[in-house]
Amino acid sequence: MIFAKVIGTVVSTSKDPNLEGKKLLLCKEVDHSGKPLNTYHVAVDAVQAGEGSFVLISYGSSARMTELTKNAPIDAVIMAIIDEVQITGQTTETGDSSS
Amino acid sequence: MKLGRVIGVVWATKKVPQIHGCRLYVVQPIRQNGQDTGHPLVVADPKNIAAPGDRIVFVTNTDAAQAFDSGFAPVNASVVELVDDIA
Repeated sequence: MIFAKVIGTVVSTSKDPNLEGKKLLLCKEVDHSGKPLNTYHVAVDAVQAGEGSFVLISYGSSARMTELTKNAPIDAVIMAIIDEVQITGQTTETGDSSS
Repeated sequence: MKLGRVIGVVWATKKVPQIHGCRLYVVQPIRQNGQDTGHPLVVADPKNIAAPGDRIVFVTNTDAAQAFDSGFAPVNASVVELVDDIA
């Protein structure tokens, strides 16, 4: 899964029948600290996300594993809207055995 | 399967029903010696195995859904084991 920010909607009238009724959103990928990356994805919305939402996108064949996207020709789905990402800090070296 | 260390938690109230009750972690992939390698990624924990700071084994791609009882979940990576020690 990757983090992304929804930055727009993709509108289409002529499309594959299996995509009927699915909302397509344009998303810009961000890293775990919220820093924008230079990658864009068009993803099917399975959680009623809106513009500006901070979301989690599942990609590849896994994207078809929701009731909404089953058997549809898609490779990215918005599967969660993120409230918060807590990073515990790289201070957790947990005494890894360096063997 | 790959080694990683849980470095954070992703809180999401609104998510697809397939992953309800499943924690989502930010995981830093690590080498055998514990050194970081590559970029952090989000990993689901369907069996509630891990906690922040733990070293884990995770699976990626289509196999990640197999870690769920249903075998049907839109995830790209799942925790499958907690690492006690690497000999």
